[in-house]
Amino acid sequence: MSEKGGRMFSLPTKTTPKSSLKSTAGKDDNSAKSKRGRKVQFGTEGSPDVNFSSPKSDGKFATPFGKGGKGEKAANGGKTHVAKESQSLELRVEQELPENVKCLMDCEAAGILEGIQDQMVILSSDPTIKLPESFGSGLQYAKTGSYYTNPQSVRKVLQSLTKYGVSNSEICVIANTCPETVDEVFALVRSLEAKRSKLTGPLKDVLEELAKLKTST
Amino acid sequence: MFFHIVLERNMQLHPRHFGRNLRENLVSKLVKDVEGTCSGRHGFVVAITGIENVGKGLIRDGTGFVTFPVKYQCVVFRPFKGEILEAAVTMVNKMGFFAETGPVQIFVSNHLIPDDMEFQSGDMPNYTTSDGSVKIQKDSEVRLKIIGTRVDATEIFCIGTIKDDFLGVINDPTTA
Repeated sequence: MSEKGGRMFSLPTKTTPKSSLKSTAGKDDNSAKSKRGRKVQFGTEGSPDVNFSSPKSDGKFATPFGKGGKGEKAANGGKTHVAKESQSLELRVEQELPENVKCLMDCEAAGILEGIQDQMVILSSDPTIKLPESFGSGLQYAKTGSYYTNPQSVRKVLQSLTKYGVSNSEICVIANTCPETVDEVFALVRSLEAKRSKLTGPLKDVLEELAKLKTST
Repeated sequence: MFFHIVLERNMQLHPRHFGRNLRENLVSKLVKDVEGTCSGRHGFVVAITGIENVGKGLIRDGTGFVTFPVKYQCVVFRPFKGEILEAAVTMVNKMGFFAETGPVQIFVSNHLIPDDMEFQSGDMPNYTTSDGSVKIQKDSEVRLKIIGTRVDATEIFCIGTIKDDFLGVINDPTTA
């Protein structure tokens, strides 16, 4: 994709085929608005490294994952037009963030944030220490989004998918969405569609295991 | 999606904070400066989980301030294009509806709502299917896919869609 150096995120522009989204009017307005001021922009690609170090990571990690993804798409032959469109809406977390980033499932994040909140109760005698607003909303979201009692068991079950080429971010999306069927997994995580034939069997087993680990509500 | 990440920041400390509690002062300043902020690359810094390394301080010429490079671990929340999220609806209008996921606001345009759902105005504006079986109103929970993001100084704003397989209402507050 050509816009890797772009500063802001943006919706697919007019040049990108949009038939799967079936809507153009809303997006045309957005791209027109974006020309007026630099602040309000919707972009297709991630931002470059602005404030933080490791500029080398952008080049390093775009290539291996980019190659892998594009190789898979090329193998589909005549589907390249549709593949480009679906590729623009696929998760590309590993390409946009440096290597030392660990994707967390909502249940894992809830555990970490609850631990920090418990510590804050001890430190609350100091009036200058306050938790930010985003902490409260982040914790509430993580708690409501976590369906599992034991994050470690969930991680262990899903780790078995890594040998089939499923990335960490895709594993986290599967854990967070708590799918019931294999079709749901492929519909929600489009980037796995290319490996459908070899993933269907293992995914079925994984979903059965996850169903046992779900909290009863 | 939540991430656990190591970030680095140069912290400037005034000489009045030097002394026995230098490290504690540095860490509390870091926490005050960083927690709750938002950047385009990493998203919202929700919480700092630990300090990995504090480098040697460099005295700045002309002032007494000292700059310390600090490496710290933190939990960040950043939405990605193509990600599936569950969000709580906060407002419904004829252009679409607004929803919230953690600290992030998401807008779903009426163009990205299934065609069989129509806007119903009233005390509790909502989108309802023709047979009335599915309703999206304030406090409904919906599963949506992020299709675009925008970052400004203090927040992240996304555009989402529910016009896809396995997306839409999860929980209707009227039936709960």
